[in-house]
Amino acid sequence: MSTASVKTGRSPLKKWCDENTGLFFLIPWILGFLIFKAYPFASSLYYSFTNMNFFRGISEYGIMNYVEIFTEKDTTTALLITFKYAFITVPLKLIFALFTAYILNFKIKFVNFFRTVYYIPSILGGSVAIAVLWRALFRDTGVVNTILGFVGIQGPDWLADRTWALFIICLLRVWQFGSAMVLFLAALKGVSVDLYEAATIDGASKTRQFFSITVPMITPVIFYNLVTQIAQAFQEFNGPYIITGGGPRNSTTLVALLVYNYAFKSNEMGMACALAWVMFVIVMVLTVIAFTSQKHWVYYAD
Amino acid sequence: MKKALALMLAGALSAGLLAGCGSTGAASGNTATGENSSAAAGSGDLTMSWWGGDSRHEAYQNALAAFTEKTGMTVSTHYGAWSGWEDQTSAALYSGNAEDVMQVNWNWLSQYSGDGSKFVDLNEYADIIDLSQFPESTLEACTVAGKLQAIPVSMTGRIFYWNMNTFKEAGLENYPTTLDELYAAGEAFKTNLGDEYYPLAMGEYDRMILMTFYLESTYGKPWVEDNTLQYTVEEIATGIDFIQSLEDNHVIPSIQTMNAAGIDANNSIDKSEQWINGMYAGIFEWDSAPVKYRDALADASGFIVGDEIKFGDKANGGFSKVSMGLAITETCQNKEAAAELINFLLNGEGAAILGSECGIPNSAAGLAAASAVDGAVEALVEEANSKVMAFVDFQLDPVYESTDLKANPGGVYADVFGGYSYGEYTDSTKAAQDLYDGVSDALAELGA
Repeated sequence: MSTASVKTGRSPLKKWCDENTGLFFLIPWILGFLIFKAYPFASSLYYSFTNMNFFRGISEYGIMNYVEIFTEKDTTTALLITFKYAFITVPLKLIFALFTAYILNFKIKFVNFFRTVYYIPSILGGSVAIAVLWRALFRDTGVVNTILGFVGIQGPDWLADRTWALFIICLLRVWQFGSAMVLFLAALKGVSVDLYEAATIDGASKTRQFFSITVPMITPVIFYNLVTQIAQAFQEFNGPYIITGGGPRNSTTLVALLVYNYAFKSNEMGMACALAWVMFVIVMVLTVIAFTSQKHWVYYAD
Repeated sequence: MKKALALMLAGALSAGLLAGCGSTGAASGNTATGENSSAAAGSGDLTMSWWGGDSRHEAYQNALAAFTEKTGMTVSTHYGAWSGWEDQTSAALYSGNAEDVMQVNWNWLSQYSGDGSKFVDLNEYADIIDLSQFPESTLEACTVAGKLQAIPVSMTGRIFYWNMNTFKEAGLENYPTTLDELYAAGEAFKTNLGDEYYPLAMGEYDRMILMTFYLESTYGKPWVEDNTLQYTVEEIATGIDFIQSLEDNHVIPSIQTMNAAGIDANNSIDKSEQWINGMYAGIFEWDSAPVKYRDALADASGFIVGDEIKFGDKANGGFSKVSMGLAITETCQNKEAAAELINFLLNGEGAAILGSECGIPNSAAGLAAASAVDGAVEALVEEANSKVMAFVDFQLDPVYESTDLKANPGGVYADVFGGYSYGEYTDSTKAAQDLYDGVSDALAELGA
């Protein structure tokens, strides 16, 4: 028994409780994390090395799922399409977000209204209603082709053509640039006005100021957006599931959708887990590459 | 520190993907189409789930209200459209969260409860459910692993339905009854109405079923018998050529054309502008399905049941099957009450309320009760059912409808017929080989 506890008259248990009160407040989160994140995370790794099926159980252990992922046509195609999707949407989304934030950073009339308008797609973009609307816009006799028809252009079969179908899925994601835009806007506001004044005195053009002052100063936010957008792009599910169902001919079946199909349509949970782990490793590798590269292009003032 | 925090953030984001892949399969409960509503009537003595259209939902709810009035027992409900329904149902069955009484697709009995572990043996409740009202053959079809796992609601098969308003616009007074007349209809539609008009529209699975009708009629043997595919690759290739001939003769639109119109795995033909406005003037559908197709039409005055078409000279071809059943899950806490509910819905007053919403009742008592109520049995459904049952020669093998084969996308049928329509195969023999291999694998894996 410690001297302190004798002095205060507290039992060791009471003392421990007093010193760790915060822990009790964290218990709901810790339990949630352990049950809904940590356990499924670990169990998915275990199941990825099995041929677990909901209704047939497990009869085989090994790396067969991973071999299949890199040899079967449907999985390799889904991986390639997902890379294509991520490498199209992430840069485009960041560019649109930064460009729009830059414009909205000027003191113009109704700027708050425009900020709200541009942010709204981020809230609505992943919803079922918007995806249904997207289908209506891009069907063969939809609004887009009707407008194209007015100017004498025969629009493509957006939903039936493999290339265009992926394009409209990408477009939906890029359209939701609002959240990245808000972060960029906050970063732009943090760039010291003194820098621009000095550059103006030195005769630097607005373009030069943008690339030599603005961009370097907000690289930490660009970096943050890049990492989070990559992770989110590789997990995209709603767009292809609702708009195209992964079609036509699996041309918009991204890996997250294929994971769902394996898990809940074919009930092949082992394969679904393996595919999810492959995605996890890919995202981690890309994240590590991004972190490794940041010393060459990200500027931290502190 | 910043790096560590950011790495943790990236890891946590990625972990979200993996966390969704645990073994505890919680059903997502949503479908992408937004068509699939679900409702719960509050906690009750029993729970029940079904899929279907609005009219079926209404009929079930009325029947359940009558059950509550009669017995005092309340029933919580969960229902929605077919799209995405099986995904959540299979997960619910696996995780033990399925409803007490389920409307089940026939093949689910062997696919999800091949060992008899998911559904109760209803023979044990023969004192509550009057099994004598059902033909022995249909009860036998629902007996898997030695257990009567579901009570058959109705028998069904496929038949043609036509929108005669469009046929008349194309200059045709009669619907097709032979293959040559089908080809002639395609030509008439193209010439008189334009490239966007077709006498018939069929998705990938519809094509598989029609091909089976064609092959069975031409070769006079069932698709599968004794868990063995009865057709050679060469024979199947003639069936695929037959389907392609329908596309080539403007009888059916290509899958690409239908996809462009927004028709795909999640969006059925009846919801398309092409169907609603009569540009697609025919379907090959289950005999229990005509009402939703008729009701979707802007002008339904010309919607009629056609005749089956005999494609060969060896047999009529075609098959019937148990359309669906009502089953009690092993997790049900009040099995006697659940059995009482099933008897009420299929043999009692509930059957009169349900009418032909789930097809023509398989129960003799149920059919008598439904027939006694004016308008309860849709004349359209009754006509279609009688034509199908009088025509078809064969029974369906349950593996035919297994997810491995039927899923869209990803199933063998969608891969073969979608791929062939999209021009991904150089010849029909290669497509036939893929179909042969896929079906053989499924039979080896899932068959008895």
